[in-house]
Order: sequence, then C-alpha cells, then structure tokens
Amino acid sequence: MAPPPAAFERRVLRSAAEHHYLRVRLELPDGAARPSAALFKQLVVTALRELHGEVGAALPVDVLTYEEKTMSAILRVISSGFVKLWSALTLLGFYQNRRYISISSCIIWEQ
Amino acid sequence: MSSLLLRRLHQTPRHLLVCEKSHARHAHSRHAAHVRDHAYNCRVSFLIPECGMLPEVLKSTIADVGEYYVVRNLPLHELVAHEFIDNFVKKGSCYALTYNTRIDQDNTAALLPSGKLILSVDKDTYEELGLQGRPSQYSGKKVMRYIITIDLTDSSFHPDSKKNKRVLWALKEKKPLKFDFLLAWYNTGAEGSTLMSYFPQNQIRSLKPKITFSTLRDLQCPVLQSNELQGKPEESCSAEELFEWLGAVLNQVNNKSSNFVSTYCCPQPSTTAEQAFLCTITGFIIPETIIQLLEKLCCYFDEPKLAHWLTLTVHGFADSPVSWRESEHGFHKGGENLYNFVVFRNLDYWLQMAVGTNDDCPP
Repeated sequence: MAPPPAAFERRVLRSAAEHHYLRVRLELPDGAARPSAALFKQLVVTALRELHGEVGAALPVDVLTYEEKTMSAILRVISSGFVKLWSALTLLGFYQNRRYISISSCIIWEQ
Repeated sequence: MSSLLLRRLHQTPRHLLVCEKSHARHAHSRHAAHVRDHAYNCRVSFLIPECGMLPEVLKSTIADVGEYYVVRNLPLHELVAHEFIDNFVKKGSCYALTYNTRIDQDNTAALLPSGKLILSVDKDTYEELGLQGRPSQYSGKKVMRYIITIDLTDSSFHPDSKKNKRVLWALKEKKPLKFDFLLAWYNTGAEGSTLMSYFPQNQIRSLKPKITFSTLRDLQCPVLQSNELQGKPEESCSAEELFEWLGAVLNQVNNKSSNFVSTYCCPQPSTTAEQAFLCTITGFIIPETIIQLLEKLCCYFDEPKLAHWLTLTVHGFADSPVSWRESEHGFHKGGENLYNFVVFRNLDYWLQMAVGTNDDCPP
C-alpha cells in the first residue's frame, strides 16, 4: 500500500546555512599569466593568511568552480568565515610579487 | 570594542530558508499561491533525473513560454495613464519591472498584477515627487530610500480624482522619471490591443525567453524521502542538503572532487543517475507560466518513471523592489530571492524559499 500523502509541515531556518557562497573574478594586469585552479586556491589561502594569520589560512574554503579563461570562480566558505574571506580577498593586492589585482565579488546565494 | 569587532567578524549576514512539505493534489496546498505571489522571475530551471528525452507535453509547454517586452526610455507616467490601466492592468495580469536599475542605488519601479505600482526611490527624488510614501525598512537610521505604493485599480484613482491628477502631475511635470522596462501581460482569451501595438514601435521590442537544454551524465543524486523533510541519518538527505546540491548542479560544479581545490561532494546517501535532463529558461518569466510548467511536471509521473523526484528552481530578480507579494526586497550583499520545488513520484512536494538579508520572511 502506498504511504499516505505528506502532511503539511513548515520549517523556518534563520541564518542556519552552514556555508556561504561567493562568485569572484580575478583581475590581473595585461600579460600576466593566468593561474590554474590550484594556484587560484593557493592565492585565496595566501590572502587569508596575510590578513587573518594562520587562523585565517586554516579556514575551510572550497573553489567549487574555476574558469581559467575568465579567471572567475565560485567559492564556498563556512558561514562564520564569510566576512573574513570577503575582507581578505578585497584587501589582497599582490600576485607572484607583482602588484595587480582586484577581486570583485558578489554573493550568488547564501542558501 | 575589539571583542565586538571580533564578534562581527564571525557574524554572517541574516538569511532565511523556509522549507515546506505538502501534497500537490491536497485541497489546501498553497504551492500555486506561492508561485503566483512571486511576481518577477529571471530564471527557471528544472532537473529530471533518469530522463534522456523530454516528453512531448513538456516540450510543447516550454515552446509556449510567452514572450516578454523591453520598452526603452518609457516615462513612468505612461503606466499611470488611464488608457493603459483600462486596456492592460484591468484586463489581465500586467507585470512591469525597471531594467538595469539597482535597488540599492537607483530609483526603481514595479507594477504588480494586482494593479499596485511600487516605486522605490532615493530621498531626493522622494522629496521632489511629493507623493506619499513610507521609509524603506532597510535604509537604516537615516532614511535615504522611500517606498511609494499607488493602487492603480483603486476606485479612488479614477481619471477625475484629485489623487490621480496629483500623481500624473508629479510624474509628468514635477519630477519626470524615465526607465527601461521589462513588460509582460497575461490575459485569459479576451481580445484587445496588445502591448506591441500600444507602445511606439521604436521603443518596444518583443523578446523570447532563452532556453537551454543539457543532459548530465552519471549524476550523483541524493536519496530523498518525501515525508522526511529533515532527512534521516543513513536513509535520506535533508531539504538543506538537497538545496546545496542543487546549487552545485545548476552551477556545473564537479561534485566528485575531494582534493586541495574543493572538498565538496554529493550528500549521502546518494544514487547515481545514468543521465539527467536539465532545462534552463531565462528571461522575464511570469508566474502563470511557472504554474503551468509545474503542473506539467507533476503530470510527468502519470506514467511509471525511473526518477523518484524532480526539481523546479526559480530565481527572482536581485534588484526587484519586492520579493513575495508586496514584501520589500533589498540587495544587501546578493539580493537573492529564489524558491525550489521538489516534486516526488507520489506528488508529495517540498518547497524551499530562500531570501537574503533585506527581506521579509517568505509567506
């Protein structure tokens, strides 16, 4: 026998998302070599270390997608580290000892 | 002071996720009402696991997705003109939303199918217009943004009324506002003029929504049980887990990776679908279309299918002045307002509605 149709249920989750997501794009001066996905991740960790020290560098950040051509990526970070990640990316100004760069970002969806 | 700053560093912007479950054929089910209440939608995607070819009925529904219009440089008072109200607003569902305007910086306007015209304007414009409004809920202590709501179908808004004259004067002479508009009109059969012929040819352009199909191979899908919204350890995944997974699928995240770059993987337990059909429609998509599509997706399970469930995801415009109904919407950090249906084989469904920081709780 088929189970009865689901009874109505509603749950409201307030600021309960485990992760936050950011869509970011790296801007380098013309002619600079485009980083690979692994290097891009390294860059994100470096940015976190520079601003927030080892604690920042240990923050779990995932590069969910990375397109080398446009140097755009979707990042996932644990919610409590969201402000740290955004600030670190905003203030990062060097890549391979060359002054560059800005990372523009917007959230794509915070669950 | 420093401890306060430190705490702020760990805080995340407020966000809400509402999860509901019910049955699509239940007499009191509110699924259609929730769709209808979310007026402005820019992207609709549906995902059907274990489906290689779309059934004809769904194909024709997608082909029938109505066109919408872009009107350039339209003076706002044209939407308040009586000819427009009588021909379109009162004779069907009329949707209008300013295009390329930013809700946290620019003046924006939206016309709801209920006949309410909503203006979200900065302080200077508000003062120049001299129309009655209220401070925006999200503009902080020092109010920099105001919301003006004008009910175009209200009986006190007839052509000779004082109110009507004042609104026209404010929008025509006092502070003329011009916008690019997205427009759509839905009416049930009644003959009449069309938007295309109402506006000057050099101003209006009709557009078809952009539709893309793709087949995903060997997709790992979470196991879901319709009566377990919160999931059961070892048995099924929760609504939140599904929501994240779906975001990953729609953004084409490789969900097998578990390495230095990304540790994301599909929630467990999961099964592997040999193929899954993903269709995405982008444009100015009105709720009537989405309700029709949802209905046809429910009918997908009329015949026995391998899939246990399918999903329909709808994204709202990030810069729309409202999310659900007339609830004020703001951008804050991302402007997200979206919802997602999971329809199960037995027509039980889950509905997830998500909003960001500057939003009321979804209905």
